[in-house]
Amino acid sequence: MIRFKVNGTVRETDAPPMARLLDVLRVPLGLTGTKEGCGEGECGACSVMLDGVPVNSCLVAVGQCEGREVVTVEGLAHGAELTPLQRAFIEDGGAQCGICTPGMLVAAEALLRRNTSPTDDDVRDAIAGNLCRCTGYQRIVDSIQAAAAAVRAKTSKASKASKAGGETGA
Amino acid sequence: MSAHAPAGLARTEMVCPKTIAEACAVLAQAHRDKRAASLLAGGTDVIVDRHLMPIEKARPLDLVVDLTGVDELTAISERDVAGERHLVFGGGVTYWQLRTDRRVLAAIPMLDAMAKDVGAVQIQTRGTLAGNIATASPAADGVPALMALDGVVKLVSEGGARTVPLDQFFLAYRKTVLAAGELIAEIDVRVPLPGARVTWRKVGTRLAQAISKVALAGVIEEERGTITRARFGVASVAAVTHPLGGVRALAEGKTFKALDRATVDAAIDLEIKPIDDVRSTGAYRLHVAKALVWRALAP
Repeated sequence: MIRFKVNGTVRETDAPPMARLLDVLRVPLGLTGTKEGCGEGECGACSVMLDGVPVNSCLVAVGQCEGREVVTVEGLAHGAELTPLQRAFIEDGGAQCGICTPGMLVAAEALLRRNTSPTDDDVRDAIAGNLCRCTGYQRIVDSIQAAAAAVRAKTSKASKASKAGGETGA
Repeated sequence: MSAHAPAGLARTEMVCPKTIAEACAVLAQAHRDKRAASLLAGGTDVIVDRHLMPIEKARPLDLVVDLTGVDELTAISERDVAGERHLVFGGGVTYWQLRTDRRVLAAIPMLDAMAKDVGAVQIQTRGTLAGNIATASPAADGVPALMALDGVVKLVSEGGARTVPLDQFFLAYRKTVLAAGELIAEIDVRVPLPGARVTWRKVGTRLAQAISKVALAGVIEEERGTITRARFGVASVAAVTHPLGGVRALAEGKTFKALDRATVDAAIDLEIKPIDDVRSTGAYRLHVAKALVWRALAP
C-alpha cells in the first residue's frame, strides 16, 4: 500500500509502485483534472506539484510518492473560491479549449508561490514546458501577470491593514 | 490502470533506500540473485521507456531502486583540491537545484545557463546529473557542461568506490564504464578561475523542450595572454559526448593570436564525425561545432 497526501488529504493506493502518478490520480483517485497529453514529459498537461515543485505526473512512479505531498489542479481553489490565477485565466482569456489549462495553472501557481513579481521572461520560462495549441501564449502570459498583480495588491492591502491595526493598537 | 500500461508492470518491485550504502546493498543482492534491476531517479528516461516502448522490446524488470529518498545524493558541497576550488554534486542533484543554489549561481553561472536549457521546469525539477551521465545519451546537456569543468565521477558499489574522469566514462554509443552494482554517487567539478571565459551554447530548434543539434561547453583560462586551460564538452556530434582533446592540445600553451582557424577546424575534423538524423545534418553540425569552438576560444 502506498500512502501520500493529495490536496491536503492522505490517500492510499494498492497500484503497482511503477504505475505512473498520472494514472493513479485519474483512475483510482478520480482526479481527472490532470490530463494526459504526450505521456513523455514534453507537453506539461499532466503537471502537478510534488512537495511544492511542478513535475510531470507522467514521469513520476507512484511508489516514489510514499509520504510526499501532491497538489493537483483540483487542490488549488479553496472550496468554491477560485484562486487569483483561476479568476484571471477566465477573465483574461487564458483558458480556451481547456486541455492545457490544468497544467498551466499548476505551473503558474508554482511560479507565483516563489515570485509574485515575475517578468514576462520569468513567466515564459515557468510555462515553457506547457504546450498550448489554441490560444497562443500571450493571453496566458497576460493572465498570469494579472494574477500576480492581484496577489501583490492583496498582500500590500493586508500589510497596510495590519500596520494600521498595529498603530491603532499602540 | 492505464490502457497502455506495459505487461509486467505489477511484477516490478520497488525498493526505496535512504542511504547510498543501502542502495548499493540492494543492487548487489539483485545482481547475485540474477534479478533484472534498474536505478530510478527523475524517471525522465526509465518511465518513458517503460510506457512507450513496444512491449516485445521492453526489458523485463524485476526490481527498481528508487534513489529519490537518498538525501546524501542531493547534497552540494565545496572542497579544495591542490589549492583549487571544486564543487561536489551528489548524483541526485537536479537541474532545478543548479538553477536555485546560491553557491552554484555565484561560482559557475554556466551551469545555471545549461540547466535552464534542459527541457523545461517540470523536467529540471526531476532530471538529475547522475541520470544524465548514466543514460549516456550523446545529446545530453549536463554532460558536456560537466566535462568542460573537468568533471570526475565517483562510482560506489558494495565493494568500494572508484573515481573516473568524465572524459573516460563513455566507451561507445550508450555504453559506459559503469559496472553492475555501481551507482554514480558524486560528480566533482573544478570552479573556473575568476576571469575565465566560460561558454555554454545549445543550438536546437527552439529554446525550451528541444534536443540539441549541437551543444558546446567550454572553459578557457589565460595567464598573461597564454591559454593555460582549454577544456570542452560537445554534444550531439559523436556517439558519445566528446572532450575535443585535440583542440585542447593545440590551444593550451599558446596565445589566441598564435592559433589559426584552419588548424583548429582541422583538429575538429579529426575528432568528430557528426551524422545526419531527424534533428539535423552532419554537415550543419560540423559547421556549427567549429564556429562555437572558435568563439569559445576567442577573447
